[in-house]
Order: sequence, then C-alpha cells, then structure tokens
Amino acid sequence: MKPWQKNVLYIVVIYFILLLGPIAGLDIPRIIQDIVQSPSLLFTQILVGLINGAIIAIIALGYTLVYGIIELINFAHGDLYMLGGFAALTVMGMFGMEDGAPLGTAILPMLVALLVSAGMCAGLNVVTERYAYRPLRNAPRLAPLISAIGVSFIFQNLGLFWGGLRSFIPIMGNTAAAPKSFPDLLPRTDIFQALGIETKIDFTVKDLTVLVVAVGLMVGLNLFVQRTPAGKAMRAVAQNREAAKIVGINVDQIIVLTFLIGGALAGAAGLLVGLYNNTIVFTMGFTAGLRAFTAAVLGGIGNITGAMLGGVLIGLLSALSDQYLSSRWTDAWVFGVLVLILVFRPSGLLGENLQEKV
Amino acid sequence: MQNVLKALRANLILGGVAAFTVLLFGGWSGSMIGWLLGTAVGYLDTHEQSIPHPKVGLRIGAINGFALGLWVAAASLVEGLILRPLSGQAIVPLPQDLLHAVVGLAVTTVAAALMGAMQGLPRRRSKLAHQTTHGSLSRRQGTLLILAAILLFFPFADRMAQTGWIATVIQVLIFAMLALGLNIPVGYAGLLDLGYAAFFAIGAYTTGMLSSPHLGIEWNFWLVIWIAAAVAAVAGLILGSPTLPLRGDYLAIVTLGFGEIVPIVFRNLTEIRIVEPISSLFATLLNRPELAICLVGCEQPFNLTNGETGINPIGRPWLPFIGSFSSTNYLPWYYLVLLLVIFSMFMINRLRNSRLGRAWTAIREDELAASSMGINRVNVKLLAFAMGATFSGFAGAFYASYITAIFPSVFDFSVSVIILCMVILGGLGNMIGVLLGCVIIMSADRLYLPQFAQVLKGFLNTTVLPNIANPALRDFLAISVDPIQMRLFLFGLVLVVMMIVRPEGLVPNSRRRAELHSEDVVANESLADVRSVG
Amino acid sequence: MTLLQSEQLTMRFGGLVAVNAVDLALEPGMIASLIGPNGAGKTTFFNMLTGIYVPTSGRLTFQGQDITGLLPHRLTELGIVRTFQNIRLFSNMTVLENVLVGRHCRLKTNLVGTLLRPPAVRQEEAEARQAALSMLEYVGLGTDRANEFAKNLPYGDQRRLEIARALASNPRLLLLDEPTAGMNPNETADLTRFIYRIRDELDLTVLLIEHDMKVVMGISDRVSVMEYGAKIAEGTPDEVRANPQVIAAYLGKEDAPTVGTEATGAEAIGSPAEATGTAAGEQTASLNHRPNPQHISSDRGSDE
Repeated sequence: MKPWQKNVLYIVVIYFILLLGPIAGLDIPRIIQDIVQSPSLLFTQILVGLINGAIIAIIALGYTLVYGIIELINFAHGDLYMLGGFAALTVMGMFGMEDGAPLGTAILPMLVALLVSAGMCAGLNVVTERYAYRPLRNAPRLAPLISAIGVSFIFQNLGLFWGGLRSFIPIMGNTAAAPKSFPDLLPRTDIFQALGIETKIDFTVKDLTVLVVAVGLMVGLNLFVQRTPAGKAMRAVAQNREAAKIVGINVDQIIVLTFLIGGALAGAAGLLVGLYNNTIVFTMGFTAGLRAFTAAVLGGIGNITGAMLGGVLIGLLSALSDQYLSSRWTDAWVFGVLVLILVFRPSGLLGENLQEKV
Repeated sequence: MQNVLKALRANLILGGVAAFTVLLFGGWSGSMIGWLLGTAVGYLDTHEQSIPHPKVGLRIGAINGFALGLWVAAASLVEGLILRPLSGQAIVPLPQDLLHAVVGLAVTTVAAALMGAMQGLPRRRSKLAHQTTHGSLSRRQGTLLILAAILLFFPFADRMAQTGWIATVIQVLIFAMLALGLNIPVGYAGLLDLGYAAFFAIGAYTTGMLSSPHLGIEWNFWLVIWIAAAVAAVAGLILGSPTLPLRGDYLAIVTLGFGEIVPIVFRNLTEIRIVEPISSLFATLLNRPELAICLVGCEQPFNLTNGETGINPIGRPWLPFIGSFSSTNYLPWYYLVLLLVIFSMFMINRLRNSRLGRAWTAIREDELAASSMGINRVNVKLLAFAMGATFSGFAGAFYASYITAIFPSVFDFSVSVIILCMVILGGLGNMIGVLLGCVIIMSADRLYLPQFAQVLKGFLNTTVLPNIANPALRDFLAISVDPIQMRLFLFGLVLVVMMIVRPEGLVPNSRRRAELHSEDVVANESLADVRSVG
Repeated sequence: MTLLQSEQLTMRFGGLVAVNAVDLALEPGMIASLIGPNGAGKTTFFNMLTGIYVPTSGRLTFQGQDITGLLPHRLTELGIVRTFQNIRLFSNMTVLENVLVGRHCRLKTNLVGTLLRPPAVRQEEAEARQAALSMLEYVGLGTDRANEFAKNLPYGDQRRLEIARALASNPRLLLLDEPTAGMNPNETADLTRFIYRIRDELDLTVLLIEHDMKVVMGISDRVSVMEYGAKIAEGTPDEVRANPQVIAAYLGKEDAPTVGTEATGAEAIGSPAEATGTAAGEQTASLNHRPNPQHISSDRGSDE
C-alpha cells in the first residue's frame, strides 16, 4: 500500500469511529464535557480502575506464568479465581462475619480466608494440571486448550453447586445461581479526610488495603522469580524446556510449582474481589478471566511485569469506560482491545521482539 | 441361546442406553428407542463382516436385535412395576406394561433384522457384481433406504408412541446444521473458532429484523433465509479477516472475542442516534446545534434489536396446501429442517471433495508448503470461515422463525462451546461423526437431562425425603439434587475426557486420527510470521 | 532471454546479513546448482525466490517481470515451484491428493462451481485426477499407492512425491532444496537421471541446492558458490573446482585468500566475500511473532 493510501485509510477509519462510536458510548465531545465538569470524578474512577486493575493483574499473572512455561492458555484460570471467592466466602460464613463487623474481629477470618482460598486454588490448579493438562503435553496445541475449556466449565458448575449449599453455609443466600453478598469488612474511612486533606476524591482504607495486598503479592512474586533458585529454574524452563532438563532441572516439578503459584494468586484475588466488591457470583470467573487474559496479552504474555501493567491498563479502561463510555458496552470495548492487540501487536507492550532473538 | 448371550454382551452400551431411555420415559418409548437403536445394532454388528446373503444378515441382525430387545423389555417391566410407584407417577396396569415390553422386544428385533438383511446385499464393487445384481438394491442403497424411512416416518411414530420427542429432534437438527458448519473451519481447515455462536446470532437477528413487525419489514421466510445465510457469510469474511495472520490458540481467542462482542452489540443496539461528526463539530464550535446533520434516530433514538427483550414475533414460513407453519404442528418444521440439514450435508460434501476442500486440508497440514504449492491461503481461510458461517446463517434463520422470538442471551459462549463439543465428540472433520456427536449431546442435554431431573425429583419426593430426619440435609437434597444444574459439568467432562482418551472423537476421520495421535507435532509454520520479517 | 534474474538480492535479519547482494541469472533450460558450506545462505536465497521471505533489498525478475516480494502462491502461478530440504508433504493426505494440491493453481473451479458442480467442473476434476495419476506414473511412483497416506511412503518415495507435487503445477523453474539428502548412491543416481529427464521432457529450468559434489559436478551446467551470504564464485563445474576461494571455503582454511576476489567463471561477478559473521543468519526461518514461541527452534533451513 502506498503511503497516501494508508493515510486515506486512516482518515476513513477515524471518520467511521467518530460516526459510529457514539452508539457504543464513544461520544468525544460529551466525554470532554463530563471530565471538565467534574474532574474529581475522573480521579475517583482512576482509583477504582487502579484497584480493579491490581486484582485483574493478579489473575493475569496466573495466565502469564502458565503460558510462559507450557504455552497453554489456561482457560480455567478465571473460574479458579471464582472458586477462590467462594472458598473465602465460606470461611467468612464459618466465622459468622457480617457487614461492618469490627476490624479487630475480622482480621483473623480474613487471614484464614486468604490461606484457605489460596491453598485450595493452588491445590485445585495442581490437580488440574496433573490430570487434565499433563497427559496432553505432547499433543497438538489445541488439545490442552480444549481440555482447559472443559475444566473451566467444570469449575463453573462447581461454583454453581457451591452456591447452592445454603443449608450448610447460610451465607450462600437463597438460590444457587444468584450473586452472593460478601461481608463488607474493611472500613470505609476516607484516608484524605482522616489526614485532614480537603479533597473530593474518595480513597478509603478499604481501597488502600486491597491495593497494598495486591501490590504486595506482585512484588513478592517478582522477588521470588528473580531471586530464588526455584524462580530462576522457572525462568529457565520458560526459556527452553529441553535445555533446562539437560542442566538438571526437574521440569515437571517446576511446572507443578508454576500452577501452584498461579492458583494461590487466583485464590487471593478471589478473596480480594469479595472484600472489595462485596459480591461474588459463579459466572464472574469467565468475564474476569477474559479480562485478565486480555491484560496478560496486552502486557506481553509470558512477561510478569507486562501482566501487571496490562492488568492496571485493563482495569483503568473498564473503569473509565463504565463512567464515560457506557457500562453496557464495557465488555465489548475490552474484547475489542483484546482483538486489536492480538491482531496488530501479538507480542504485547512489553513482549520481547522475537525477531531479534533468532 | 448361546448366540443371544453373546449378542447381549456385544451390545452392552447400546443396551444400556436403551434401558436407560425406557426407565426414564416409560410407556411406548421402548418401541421407539428399540426401533432406532435396533436399526443401529443391525448395522453395526453386520457392516464390517462380509455377509454373503441377506438371509444371513437377517439372522445376525435378528439375534442382536433380540438381545437389545431384551434390555428394552426388561427395562419396560422395571419401569412400570418398580420405578413408577417409587417416583410417584401414575401406575400403569400390568397387562399394559407387558404389552409395552413385548412390543418393544418385537420392534427392536424386526428393526435390527431388517437392517441386517440390507447388509447382506451385494456391495456392487466390480462391474461383474453390478451386472449380476442388475435391478436389485446395493448394500449402500438398502441402508440409505432404511435411514430415509426412519427419518420420514419418525414424526408419525413419535405421535403414535406418544413420546413427544419431535420438538427435541427439531432442536437436534438445528444444531446439526451448526455443527456441520463449524466442522468446516475447525475440522477441515484447522482453524479453531470459539465464537461460532456469533454467526448463528447474526443469521437469527437478520431474520428477526427482516421478518418481524418490530422494524415493520415482514419479508417472506423463503427469501429471508437466503439473506440471512448471505449476511452470515459476509460476517464470516469480515470477522475472519483479522484472524488470518494468527493461528492456533491466538486465533481461538480472537474468535472468542468476536463471539462475545456480537451478542453485546445485539443487546445494546437499542438507542441508535447517528450524527455526522464533522457537522456536529462545527455545530459545537459555533454553538449552533441546528448545523449538526442527523442521520439516524433523529426524533427518537432508533431501536434496532430491542435489547434484552429481543425481537418478537418473527414471521413463519408459508407454503401452499400447508399454509403458514404453526407452533402446534411440528410436522412441517421437522421436514423443513430435515431438508435443510440434508441440503447442508450435500453442499458440504461437495465442498470437501473439491479443489477448495483439498486446499483446506493442505492449509491445515502445512500452511507454508500449501502456500508454496500455489494455494492462496488468505482466500482459502476466509472461505472456510465464510462457508462455516453460511450454514449457521441457515440454522439461525430457521431457529428465529421456529421459536418466533430471539434474545441475545441465547447466543453466548456456552453455545459456541456446546457446538464445539459436538464436533469434537463425534470426530473432527467427519460429517457422520459430527452428526452423531450432535445427536448424543443434544438429546442428552434437551431430552434425557430434563426427564432424568423430573424422575429423580419424583423419586426424591416420594421415596427418599420423607424418610430423612435431618432438616438441613433434607433441604439440601431437595434443592441441590438437580441434574439440570450439572449441564456445564457434563459438557466440561466430555471435553476433558475426550481430549485425553479419544481426541479423534467417536467416529474418527482416519486423517485426524493420525494427526492427533502423532507424538511429533509438525511445526506448522505460518507464512505470515516468516514474512513479517521482511 | 534470461528466465530468472536476481540483482543484488539481500536479506537481513536484524543485524545479521543472511544473503548479501547476490546476483544470479538462470538461462532457460539450464541445470544450475547452488553450493556452499552450512549456513552460507542458500536456503534463505531459495526462500526469497519463492516468496517465503521478502528480500530486504535487491530485485528479482522472472521472464522479464519484476517478482520481488510477490506472495508464494503468485510465484507458483507464474511458474516457480520448489521442494523442501526437510520434506514437507501433506502427510495426512493421500498421495493422489498431494499431487492434486500441487495442481491447485492450474484449476479454475471457483466456489460457485464447487457448489453447483456443472459438467465443466466435473470434467476439470476428472482431468486433474487423470493428470495427477499420470504424474505419479511419470515420477515412477506408480498409481497403486495413490490412495495411501503420504506419510506411509518410504523416504525415497516421499522425495519423489514432493517432486511430483511440484511438477503438477506445470512450472517453468523448479527449485530443488537438497533433493538427494538421505539417499543411497543408487537412489541418487536415479534422481540425477530423473532431473535430466524432466529438464528435457518438460522443458524445465532447474536450480538445486546440493551437498553431494558428485551430483553437483555431474549434473550442473553452472555452479554458484555461496559463503557467508555472498556469492564467491560461479562457473562451470571445472572452473569452480579449480577456484582457490572455493577450496578454501570447503576445506575451512584459516586464512582464506580474500584478495583477488575475482572468481574464475566467465559470468562471475566479483563480489567481495563479506565475512561479517553472518553464519547465524541461516537459522532465521522461524521468525515468529510472539504467539508461537514453540516454533523458535523449528528447523526450517537450519541444517544447511
């Protein structure tokens, strides 16, 4: 294509975006107007986006770790996170937690929930790897992907079943499929107000806690992968499985470890999202999973920093889209971004440029 | 007697299926399932042997059919005498019950014997055989004849036996069309499409918009179905084009993305107002709103798809002598969708055995080599998407008209996966396998599961629950024991187990079997990747 | 008239120069060979001729027409067809189908024709089948195994089938990438005779990459030698055999005489032997973008 033809094409595309965009909420003049009228709303939304993004990033890490090591899109990962949410909710129910329980009594249940949901998800993930993915390691690439889709359905059904256990876990509410309300335990004290700073931005202790835990998990993971021998072995296997085998790394063990870590992160994310959004539902894994996968791809799948960056960007995109575009179209925008990245820059933002690697 | 015992063992699975069916449905269902499965048994137990004469086939078929019939009869008696009282259903008098059993046994035996006899016909392989059997049937023709008879008379048999399966069968056939269509990109060309329901949705919504009072356009169904297929095909081209440079799992995810976007779009196209952007910019800058040129939905935002409520009612086909198809009479619908499925099979078979079909396989096998042999991979892949979409367009049009209402929630991801399940369960790239997969999954999902749930509920309520003291447990059982809620679990299990145990499907295409079982996966390098360097 | 001409054809991968300003001209009806040590850039050169790579710079003309950067299937339509170093048959298609795929670009049936299947289409299909069968006869595979899967053929027959598949497209120029690799002397001799035969009977031009010097020296009208991505010599087999640079390249002499780069052949173009560490450039075939890291170690052209 000649350069001028390309330019004409761009202009036509932009024109059509301007023409049809408003249908899906992309009405630029209105958006500018909204932002100018109430800039603090923008900052609040950015905060919401950051926190949701941090949670998405934790899930995205699970995708990226697994993909980096065995090149499998672990489709069931989103649903694993959903099950983590249910495990956390169950723990809350056992401790009899209710909305607004004093922080002092809530800390122990939260810690237990973190351990239980992370542990359960890690275990489930390892079991899944052993029975659904490992037998397919030498099969054509689509076989494990299809298997993962199957596992995702099984998990979803487990979530549905779990939600129906109201006779044993009263906190599960009335019907199996309905969204469950997760006790609101983190205080909503406004930090800026407490510090005596006058601002219209809402930033509560709850926000801060979720953000700190999420960032802490990411930093911890990064340290683990960069500094520890096991982390280095993981990176080695990701680079070249055969070579890693030759230098004496037990590849199977490393793969199990990867699934273990990914699962634990998903479980933690399940707890966090429950604490933050105060509602969980058995279908949330699918959408969250797709968003997290988008984030992983956006950052460059296989790249840990990329997954974090991608997660934050997707979180921001959906929060801003909810506010300024149209919440009904948010999913379409996110998936649209997914398609665009895969088509135009499959290596993602931070993905290495393989052309030079050869 | 020895023979019957052997036959009982040989037909364990089908016998189990037959018995299960009778246990669930009772009544004359034994005769129905005996008829269908008996024919299958007659074919399966004979077609691989060389049967010298129809009489021999008849005998083998009869023995095996009788064995199957014993299952049916036994299940009939158990159902009528034991299960019914336990699950709180109306009790059937004993003579009636015996009649069910005996007739079931007889029908099964006869059906199997007939099919067996057909397998004794000459194969008509050589010219010589052709001459000697001039004027009589060949084995293939005989088999097809029986199949045709089953398909033609099914609705009447269903009515006679009062089983009421025809509504499900129509659903099965709709999904058969979808599965056959999906088999083109996935099975033939090796392009995993996880968003296939999008094309189904596009076909259905096209029909909805063009033949419903909602938009005031009420065109004839016979015209609209072609438009729907064409629109779906174009959508296939458009949505397929960005995926061309991708392959494998990335392609799957992009198609999944489209599969998610399309229902969202249909859900949300309810308030369309389009203003020409340049004039609108001037209008804002000059603060003169009247300058903005409004194109669509000026007085009132235009409601294209009616959102979650969907489009309703949608026009029905009309034929001379039959008149407009009605919702109470399934017959015309059944024959119409049957015709569509046969038409699809015919067309897809032509595609497969053609220059284009070979190109699809070649692309799947080795894209780089195929391209070096003169295959335009862009065209060929796009055609795979477009052709696959076309048949789902037909299916969508029929579906919309049959249900007379469409909602966006009908076309979500799980539909795509269910269709994929059918293709994989039956055998990628094999039309008969895909149809079998479709029949198994759809009948399990739409027929057996609901009936099983109902029977189980009855059983729980009459027999189990009154005897349980613990109220929490009782409450739990009453709510949780619901097989319908196990749908996703079952689908997931099918996918995982099939991938591990039998990735080539129940009726494998010999080609795919070779492919999926090979240990050394050929690195199928995509041309685009290599070229992107330059 | 020159059938195929490459002018200053260059392929760079990042910093690596895999093929450096190679000029080559093929006259109709000749059998030419391209030789050189492993990693010299021969297969990369082939990949450019067949459109798998787009040259970084330089120009390719075929029968006077500029074909630089055309897609592979277009080049096949024009009459350039190849075989692969590591046989790339459609292994799960039958022998006959493989040949029919080779014929793909000479068939005209379009989508409508496929679906309606009018008599003309039936006839074309029948003729294609017939032509494919006689092509199988022609390359000596016979027709009785036409319905077997390609992967079930013995190695030597797979090579033959690959050539049959290539010939089915009625090429003008046939590129053979190490056609005798893995063959025993008998099979090699057979193949050599066969190459002569197709050249004469099918009016073909043949360019081959070959390591077996006996084959090269026996069969070629002209031999071109590549080293480190550049063409270092060209001429008749005898001229090339006597060329000190070629000897150095093949014997791996430490101080290759880089002075006096003028090769002995009449058509030799004195291209300076650039030894700027390009050996690795040969391994570049699988320059995937991110989606398929598994293919990084894929072996296209890697064992040159």
